[in-house]
Amino acid sequence: MNIIINNYTRTVASLFRDAGNFSRRYAVSIADYKINWTRPEQPSELSPERSGDLGLDVGVKPTDFAKYYSESGELKDASDIVKKMFTLQFQPFKSTKYLRKVKTVDFVRRNELDRSSPEAQIAFYTSKILRLQEHVKKHPHHSTARVDLKEAIDKRRKQLKHLRTWDYKRFEWVLEKLNLIYKPLPEPPKQIARKESIRRLTEKHCDRLVQDKLNNYKGELKMLQRQFYVEKAEKLAFIREEELACGLEPTVSEKDIEEAKKKAKECQTKEM
Amino acid sequence: MVGGAARASKTALRYLLGTCVPSSKQNAAKVRISQLEFNDHIHMHYKKYDFVYANDPKKLCKTGDVILIKELSNKLTRLISHEVIEVIYPLGDITDPVTGKKIVASQYREDIDEADKLLGKKDSVFDYSKAPKRGRLEGVRDFTHKKMYLKYYDDPHEPQPDTVY
Repeated sequence: MNIIINNYTRTVASLFRDAGNFSRRYAVSIADYKINWTRPEQPSELSPERSGDLGLDVGVKPTDFAKYYSESGELKDASDIVKKMFTLQFQPFKSTKYLRKVKTVDFVRRNELDRSSPEAQIAFYTSKILRLQEHVKKHPHHSTARVDLKEAIDKRRKQLKHLRTWDYKRFEWVLEKLNLIYKPLPEPPKQIARKESIRRLTEKHCDRLVQDKLNNYKGELKMLQRQFYVEKAEKLAFIREEELACGLEPTVSEKDIEEAKKKAKECQTKEM
Repeated sequence: MVGGAARASKTALRYLLGTCVPSSKQNAAKVRISQLEFNDHIHMHYKKYDFVYANDPKKLCKTGDVILIKELSNKLTRLISHEVIEVIYPLGDITDPVTGKKIVASQYREDIDEADKLLGKKDSVFDYSKAPKRGRLEGVRDFTHKKMYLKYYDDPHEPQPDTVY
């Protein structure tokens, strides 16, 4: 009776100590889990990070001749000043643009006249994207350029998608040649929301707690294993002795006992 | 008779053709099986997808391959109910079943080569004989073997590798 009264008074006292709150004291809000969610920063969809461009060295220098002029015989005999006039730095930008484009397509061209094959198309777009990405960095408010860039990125993605389903090996080869990364479109949800993200993080946190507990328990059992095998070997040996002493056919063989001893030794070495 | 019909239907359903989709399981492929379902209200057939997991310890199939799977008599796990028999059409490396020639979209590979030869083949052209097996760029440049999801938190200690922005 005394015990019951003591227990009762202790419970009542604990209830008063906890500020008279009968609700659960743990995990009332997300702050109790210590989960801090920060919205991930989203890079622009025009950035190389998202378009998958790792940069391409086409080897076009400002001191190079513009396309077709390098093949001219008259320019070979001309003076240095005239030669300089026909280099890219003294020509309009479109000649640099054109040379870059041609050299990019040369990485993957099938034949002399190839312009329409998927890989050539992808190379065209890649050249355009690399140029416009540079341009947009300098002039972030140039909206037409931004639109062109977005269109080019989307069209190239579409071409890559088709090439992948038609000809996988060629697709991989193109990725390597043009130094690209291809990521498929993500699964839903397509937008990141605070509530949903916190929910997923909480789930992850709970999974981790469960896994930690399981791992701890496994460790505990492992610690007990050695003692168990030592006892097992002793008991098996005892059973065998008793059975032999009584003149019965032994149900435990020497092999079983040795195996148990071996396992005990293994556990010991592992602990060491 | 009824039992016989049921058995016959079961044997008929034992082998299935499906498309491999990205799977989060290690030794099992996730397979999408499509079938046509009749809508009584509109009197039309609509495509319906079923997803099953097929045991694939040898890793025969890759994402996008059309594979033949067989129903297991006993489920291996709660999810894995089928096993992969063989790859019928590998993605992007299809052989025409009638002529036995390799095809790219709607053309024969031979015809493409022939056209390139006539127009002056360049050294930069892709060579099938030297091409390595599919899958060497997995996780490096080509991320189609995994389900991609949007990055949903920002933590430098726990990076999310399979994300896009």
